[in-house]
Amino acid sequence: MRDTFSQLSILGSSLALVFGLTLLWRRRIPAYINAFAAQSVVLAGVAALVAYFGREPELYWVAALLLVLKGVAIPSLLRSMERRFGTEPQLEPYVNTAAWLVIAGLLVLVGYVLFRPLVAVSKLPTRGGMPLAMGLVLVSLFVLISRKKALTQVVGFLMLENGIALLAMLGTYGIPLIVELGVFLDALLGFIVMQIFMYRIHETFETMDVEQLNRLRH
Amino acid sequence: MTVFVLLLAPPVVAALLALVVRPYRVLVGWIAAVLSLVSIVGALGLWSRVLAGEIPIAGPGEFLRADALSTLLAFCVSLVSALAAWLGPGLGADDGYDPVQARRFRIFANLFTFTMLFAVTTNNVGFMWIAIEATTITSAVLIPLHVSKASVEASWKYILIGSVGIALAFAGTVLAFFDFVNVAGRHAAALNWTVLKAAAPSLHADVVKLAFVFLLVGYGTKAGLAPMHTWLPDAHSEAPAPLSAMMSGVLLAVALYAIIRWAVVTSAAVGHGFTERFLLALGLLSLAIAAFSLLVQRNYKRLLAYSSIEHTGLMCVGLALGPLGTFAAMLHLLSHALGKSMLFGLSGRVLRRYGSAEIGRVRGLMTAMPWTGAFFAAGALGLAGLPPSGIFISEFVLVRAGLAAGQWWTMGLVLALLAVAFVGVLSHVNRMLYGTPSAEVRVGEGAGWSLVPLALCLSALVVLGLTIPAPLERLVAQVVEITAK
Repeated sequence: MRDTFSQLSILGSSLALVFGLTLLWRRRIPAYINAFAAQSVVLAGVAALVAYFGREPELYWVAALLLVLKGVAIPSLLRSMERRFGTEPQLEPYVNTAAWLVIAGLLVLVGYVLFRPLVAVSKLPTRGGMPLAMGLVLVSLFVLISRKKALTQVVGFLMLENGIALLAMLGTYGIPLIVELGVFLDALLGFIVMQIFMYRIHETFETMDVEQLNRLRH
Repeated sequence: MTVFVLLLAPPVVAALLALVVRPYRVLVGWIAAVLSLVSIVGALGLWSRVLAGEIPIAGPGEFLRADALSTLLAFCVSLVSALAAWLGPGLGADDGYDPVQARRFRIFANLFTFTMLFAVTTNNVGFMWIAIEATTITSAVLIPLHVSKASVEASWKYILIGSVGIALAFAGTVLAFFDFVNVAGRHAAALNWTVLKAAAPSLHADVVKLAFVFLLVGYGTKAGLAPMHTWLPDAHSEAPAPLSAMMSGVLLAVALYAIIRWAVVTSAAVGHGFTERFLLALGLLSLAIAAFSLLVQRNYKRLLAYSSIEHTGLMCVGLALGPLGTFAAMLHLLSHALGKSMLFGLSGRVLRRYGSAEIGRVRGLMTAMPWTGAFFAAGALGLAGLPPSGIFISEFVLVRAGLAAGQWWTMGLVLALLAVAFVGVLSHVNRMLYGTPSAEVRVGEGAGWSLVPLALCLSALVVLGLTIPAPLERLVAQVVEITAK
C-alpha cells in the first residue's frame, strides 16, 4: 500500500509538471488556461490521495477548495477575460520550442540536485515527488520571466503557486489547515486584483503586451 | 490582550467605517485620523510592558506575541500610518482627490496598516507570510489612485514581482516546516516562531540553508534588496504621496523584519556566519546600485525611492555586523521611517504645486513654498546623514561596529558609497531649492496645520541625532539580545 501511495504521488506530480511544461510549446492563451485547470485538478487529486493514504482528513477540504477555486472558478474568470479581450495574435516566444524544452529539462534537473538532501532526510512515502514539484516551481518562474503577455504571466504565477502547494503536500502532508485557508484567501484576492489590473492595462494601453509597459526607466 | 486590541483594532474600524459610509464624508477621514493615534497608544503600551520585562502574548496557541523586535516595528508602523492618515486625501482641504478616491484611500490604506501591524505581532510565521502577502494586495490597489499609463504600469510590476517574490518566501516557509515535521512530527504549533527557534539546533543544516535562501530572496524582494528591487522605484514614485510614505517608511522595514525573524532561526541552526554572509552581500549590492542610481535621477520621487533601497541595504549590512551593528540597524530603521515618510509627504505637496515630479521642472522651491522648501532641505540633509540627524548617529555606530569587527575594507566601501549617495541626493535637492520658479507656479505658502505632523517628524529625527532616549535604548538593546542568541 505504501508502494501504491508512493507511485501514485509520483504520477500526480509528474502530471502536474507536464501540464506546466505545456506553457512552453503551446502558443495560444486558451491552451494555457486549460493546462492550468487540468493541473489544478491533478493537484486536488494529489491532495485527496494524501488525505486518504496519509490519514489526514483535513486535506479533503484542501482538495475540495483546490478543485472549486483553481480547477473551476479561476479558469472560468480567465476564459471570460480572454473572450473579452478578443483573440490576441499568436504569442511570440523569445526562443524556439526545442531550446525551451532543453532549458526546462535542465531546470527539473536543478530541482533534483537542490532537493537531494531533502529527499534524504524525509521518511514520507511521498518524498519522491518533491523534486518534481520543485521543477514545476522553477519552470513556472522561468515562464514568468520570459513571457511578455500579462495573461501568460498570470498563468505562470498561478502555476508557481500550484508548485509550492504540491511541495507542501508531498513534503509535509500539508501545512496546518488554518494557515492553508489564509493562503487560499490571499491567492484569491491577489488574483482578483491582478484581474482588475489586467482590465486596466487593456483600457489604458489597449494591448495586453507587457512589452508596451516601458515608460518607467531609471 | 487589551494592548493588542488597541494596536490592531483602530485600522480595521476605520476601514470598515469608510467601507460602510457611502458616499464618502469628510468626517470619516477625521475619525480615521484620530483612530490612527489610538494605534500609537497601543504600540506604546506594548513598549512599556516589554521594558517591564514581560512579553505580551494573546490568542489561542500564543497567536499574537510582541517581543522587543515586534514592538519597535509596531511603533514605527503605527507612527508612519498616523502620518499618512493625517496627510491623506479626504480631510476637507482641496487636495486634488475626489470623494471616490478619498474613500478608496481610507479603506485600503487602513487595511494596509492592519496587515503590517498584524505581520509584526503574530507569532505564527505562516500568518506572518499571509499578512505580508496581503500588504502587497492592499497597497497595490492604491498605486493607480490617479489612473495614468505610468501608475498602471507601476502597479502591475509591483503586484507581479511582489507576488512572485512572496511566493518564493512561502516555498521557504514550507521547506522550514518540512524540516521541522521530519524532526519533531506534525503538530499545530510548529509554525510558531518561538517553537521553530527552540527546535532550530536539531534541524538539518542543508534544508535550513536552502529554506533561508528562498526566504531571503522572497522577503528580500519585498524589502527592495538588489537585485530584486526593480519594481520599487516605479511603485514608490507613482503611488500617491501618503502611500509612498508608508511603503518606503515602513513596508520595507516589515519585510526586513520577516528576514530578521528567519535569520534568527537559521543562525540558531547553522551558525551566524551563514546568514551574515548573505545579508552583507545583498546589503552591499543594494547600497552600491542605489548610490549610483541616485546620481542619475531626474525625478525627485524616484530619488527618494532609490534612497530607500540605499538605506534598506545599509540596515542589512548592519544586521551582518554582530550586536553593535544590529543596534545601529534598528536605530537606523526608526530614523529612516521618520525621515523618509516626512520627505514623501512633502513630495506630495511639491507635486501638487508644480504639477511635475521632474527635478528639472522644480525651480525655486524656497521662494514658491518657503515652509515645504525648508522642511525638504532639512529632511534631505538629515537623510543624507548630516548631523544632527538620527541617521548620522546610526551610520556612525554602524561603521564603528564594522571597524570593531575588523571589516576595514567593507567599511571603507560603505563610506565611499555613502559619500556617493550624499552627493547624489544633495546635488539634486539643491537644484530644486534655488532659482526662480517659472511664471505659472503660484508663489507663497501659509503655515497650515498640515505642517504640524511633518514638523513633529523632523523634530523627532533631530532629537534622535542629539540623544538616544533611555526607553528607546533599552528597547533596542532587547532587540539585539533576541538576534544575538
